[in-house]
Amino acid sequence: MLNLRRFRSIFLSLLLFMMFFVPQISMAETLDNNVPDASPAASVPILKSAISLPMAGARATNQLNSARWLVHKDAVEGTSKLRLVIDTSDPVIVSSTLDGNGPQLVLDIKGAVVGDVDDSITLDGQIAEKVRFIKKDGNNSQAVVDLPAMIDDGDYKVFTLKSDTANKKSFRVVVDINKPVPKVVYNFTPGLRNKVIVIDPGHGGSDPGAIGPNKVQEKTVTLAVAQKVKAMLENAGAKVLMTRQTDVDVYGPNASAVDELKARTIVANNNKADVFVSIHINAFSNPTVGGTATYYYQKSNYDALLANCIQDGLVATGGLQDRGTYSAGFYVIKRTTMPSILAELGFISNPAEEKLLSTYQFQQQMAQGIVQGLDKFFSQAAKRGGGL
Amino acid sequence: MMFRKRIFLFIMLLLMTVMLGGCDNTTQQPPVPLQNENPQQQAAPIEGGTVTPSSVGQDTMKMTVYYSTKDALNLVGEQYVVPKNTHPAQTAMELLVAGTKNPELISVVPAGTKLRNISVKEHIAYVDFSDQLVKNNKGGSASEILLVASIVNTLTEFHDIKKVQILVEGKKIDTISGHMDIGEPLSRSEKIIKK
Ligand SMILES: [Zn+2]
Repeated sequence: MLNLRRFRSIFLSLLLFMMFFVPQISMAETLDNNVPDASPAASVPILKSAISLPMAGARATNQLNSARWLVHKDAVEGTSKLRLVIDTSDPVIVSSTLDGNGPQLVLDIKGAVVGDVDDSITLDGQIAEKVRFIKKDGNNSQAVVDLPAMIDDGDYKVFTLKSDTANKKSFRVVVDINKPVPKVVYNFTPGLRNKVIVIDPGHGGSDPGAIGPNKVQEKTVTLAVAQKVKAMLENAGAKVLMTRQTDVDVYGPNASAVDELKARTIVANNNKADVFVSIHINAFSNPTVGGTATYYYQKSNYDALLANCIQDGLVATGGLQDRGTYSAGFYVIKRTTMPSILAELGFISNPAEEKLLSTYQFQQQMAQGIVQGLDKFFSQAAKRGGGL
Repeated sequence: MMFRKRIFLFIMLLLMTVMLGGCDNTTQQPPVPLQNENPQQQAAPIEGGTVTPSSVGQDTMKMTVYYSTKDALNLVGEQYVVPKNTHPAQTAMELLVAGTKNPELISVVPAGTKLRNISVKEHIAYVDFSDQLVKNNKGGSASEILLVASIVNTLTEFHDIKKVQILVEGKKIDTISGHMDIGEPLSRSEKIIKK
């Protein structure tokens, strides 16, 4: 019979054998999975600095096994980022720098050699061109991400994810690169005089927008407020363009939803407007919800500023609950080229706010809030010196 | 002696194979295919490997469905344990459409909306609703944001789904109530989830 010592030694070597190969087996199954893990769970952020994950010794077996990527488009904000995921057999230490030869992001991966991963992988082309995996020495490797243009430190993030055997995921190095905001230079001057401002009364014609419990329609209120804004801005010397002046579909009778929205953005884009302001009234199934909110889409460093100024103006003059400003992928603010906002003045689904919103007095207050916000925006934007 | 050693090794290897198989079965659920899809496209059941035989029975699966907070500012994930089936993503969408019974949360799918179909191709879920999704929508960007995010976030709980394309009566739509741009597949939004 086998003696105990021999049994133990065989058992131990088998155990070692298993420890060695089991992760490889489960990993092999993830190789053909061509999409990165967008799961935010268990992420260890290691922004731009070496990480302190325990390295499982500088074993020759730790290697870059595969890489995959995906453009993640946030459902609410509409913003895009490219996520690159590199699978490694064991934990690694990663550091990253933006100073390469030209616009590139260089990841130094300590403790893993270039393995089965493709030498070069073509990426989306807009956010990043390609990633190349380069052998450094017997223990370390490099991943070089070529970018279409130089990015800033704040535009990317590097972190690692632990292995997750339940979901057959190995150790991963994750690189997130945000879609860059175009560097548009604006030269705003203070004051409203001679500014080209597009006012977009939400909905209209065949599209009533939201309807309140007492049948007040969003399209009626947005037009009434917009007309008051127009009058005030013109008094202050601004040039105002309205996407609609009456109760009509902007594109044409019974326009499709997207043609309708596109027509509104064309008014602003073709007239080189300084800013675009879309006026809406909110709605929700719970009638007690109320308040003012303003949305922006970050196309320049002025969109959030414009939203904050107008939100402050509306809350100051209207006095409704301040729901704050948010980034959102709304069509009209995304597809206009200048700083743009969409203001939700109040909730038509809230009986008290519905009543207020239909009064001349409150519409006048809301219009005043928008005009005050615009005035404040131009003076603050001018202080930024036309830079970014 | 050598012979015995070989037999022993052989048995150990056999045992190992069994153990490996067993290991697989205990640490993960077998991939569950979604209905109406290519058999090659398979969905792993749940995010984060939370499904283990100890936490949930062999015949049930756990899923998270997102509903709105009463103030219409955030989404909250509600956990469900349902009988195991071959189409968990469809089940999750049916739970979303049916709405929550939790008095602290609010369903955002418009009344009368039916789930027509759901399929997954190349990690994009195509989820098709009846036209009540648009017609019975009460308007307002707050409702629209919560509706889109609850659909996308509920489906991206599944590991195999990375993006969601919302369809109405089988067709792509650009917007639901005239605010959001939903013409292309959308990914998860973390910010709107109440922490
Ligand atoms: Zn609206």
